[in-house]
Amino acid sequence: MKLELGLIKIEDIQFASESKIDGTTLFVDKETVKKIVLEDEVLVSCDVDIAKPGESVRITPVKDVIEPRVKVEGTGGVFPGWMHKVDTVGSGRTNVLKGCAVVTAGKVVGFQEGIIDMSGEGAKYTPFSKLNNLVLIIEPDESKDQHTYEKALRLAGLRVATYLGELARELSAKEVKTFESCTIPEGIEKYPGLPRVAYVLMLQSQGLLHDTYVYGVDIKQSLTTMLMPTEIFDGAIISGNCVSACDKNTTFHHQNNPVVEELFAEHGKTINFVGVIITNENVYLADKERSSNWSAKMCKFLGVDGVIISQEGFGNPDTDLIMNCKKIEAEGIKTVIITDEYAGRDGASQSLADADKAADAVVTGGNANVVIKLPKMDKIIGHIEAVDIIAGGWDGSLQEDGSIEAELQVITGATNEMGFNCYSAR
Amino acid sequence: MVKEMERAGLPTVHMCTVVPISLTVGANRIVPAIAIPHPLGNPVLDHEEEKKLRRGLVEKALKSLETEVDGQTVFED
Repeated sequence: MKLELGLIKIEDIQFASESKIDGTTLFVDKETVKKIVLEDEVLVSCDVDIAKPGESVRITPVKDVIEPRVKVEGTGGVFPGWMHKVDTVGSGRTNVLKGCAVVTAGKVVGFQEGIIDMSGEGAKYTPFSKLNNLVLIIEPDESKDQHTYEKALRLAGLRVATYLGELARELSAKEVKTFESCTIPEGIEKYPGLPRVAYVLMLQSQGLLHDTYVYGVDIKQSLTTMLMPTEIFDGAIISGNCVSACDKNTTFHHQNNPVVEELFAEHGKTINFVGVIITNENVYLADKERSSNWSAKMCKFLGVDGVIISQEGFGNPDTDLIMNCKKIEAEGIKTVIITDEYAGRDGASQSLADADKAADAVVTGGNANVVIKLPKMDKIIGHIEAVDIIAGGWDGSLQEDGSIEAELQVITGATNEMGFNCYSAR
Repeated sequence: MVKEMERAGLPTVHMCTVVPISLTVGANRIVPAIAIPHPLGNPVLDHEEEKKLRRGLVEKALKSLETEVDGQTVFED
């Protein structure tokens, strides 16, 4: 399966009376965006703002970050199961608005949304400080419960990203990245000497607003299964998560999964990239056992030599991670796990809730408990009072002068477990 | 907490959903629970059935406390 990503460079966002892309500037008609958000009767108010790299701006509480994309050739459409039918995506060409994002903000859970700072200390830890962000601050009808609000907010973000993506439908990209996966017999024939490697992508699925969807399916209701790697670039996986900000995989992370990109980069050179196995992180022990049994069974069935496993979240998902690692290693297949750490503020405590000797090759996104200080920002987009209750913050985190003292976990994407960040540890 | 209570001389049982973590941490008596968001109940069941389930779990835990163990023991059904 072959997919071309046409990169349409966006270096600036401005409000205008008509939405369009002119050169490298994305012009956005605020009123149309508001209308698109408020199509859902659950949502009663929407404010639209812009946050650019280097500005003295703090966005909080951040729910999701989404990259606008549009399918211009090939079957299906971006975000299948939500914005389009469930036709198989991942082939043809998709145009990408590179350098911008839609950020949804609102108090769904309160303590499980994050912070994006566009400048200063905090900006170093989040990849989203480098993007031109269109921020949607969305409030629900107060009589609705959190689940209804989460879904409405999630879909509003996808609708706006799809609307912006459509602006690039007729544009021709100057830079095109090509990704091509092969079938199992093709791979064996073409690359007989190369080690065969698969990727086990663990998706947060604990329920209670900790959910991930694949082609519209709530992944906690699925057994471990497979995707063609290019399907991920077309929005096959979306986030419905309200978990600790630092290590949740936003929809943007899925669309730009760095493990998949890197495996493609090495495909045919140092390895033969066989495919992506997606598995869940459920709350019943039997589910954890069953799903990890399935991961190991599929790795064995594919006859791979090595597997990269990435995690989402922390705590009990550490058990899913270790089960996947242990069971795949028991099949004689080498594994590397990508995780992050909750090792206490001094870094001296045990990093993961679970451990095993088989997990002897570990890449870490860093220690989420490290205390950081964030300077006051001139402008706040969203609700700053949420900082005192956010996971990683405490009563008094928000200081009188507007600065913040809190654990790193408050920052969206800071210790991402796909490695989509610049923070690590040795 | 389980380990500290045992160190103080009190027999202790850890009722938990993720048994592997309890084993890693070092609990000696482990009674598997239902699910992480509701370890000692099950909202899918009706009131009567859930009461039966909850009573069963507590009785199993009490029984485990009376049982001599030689190393880590998981009290399955």
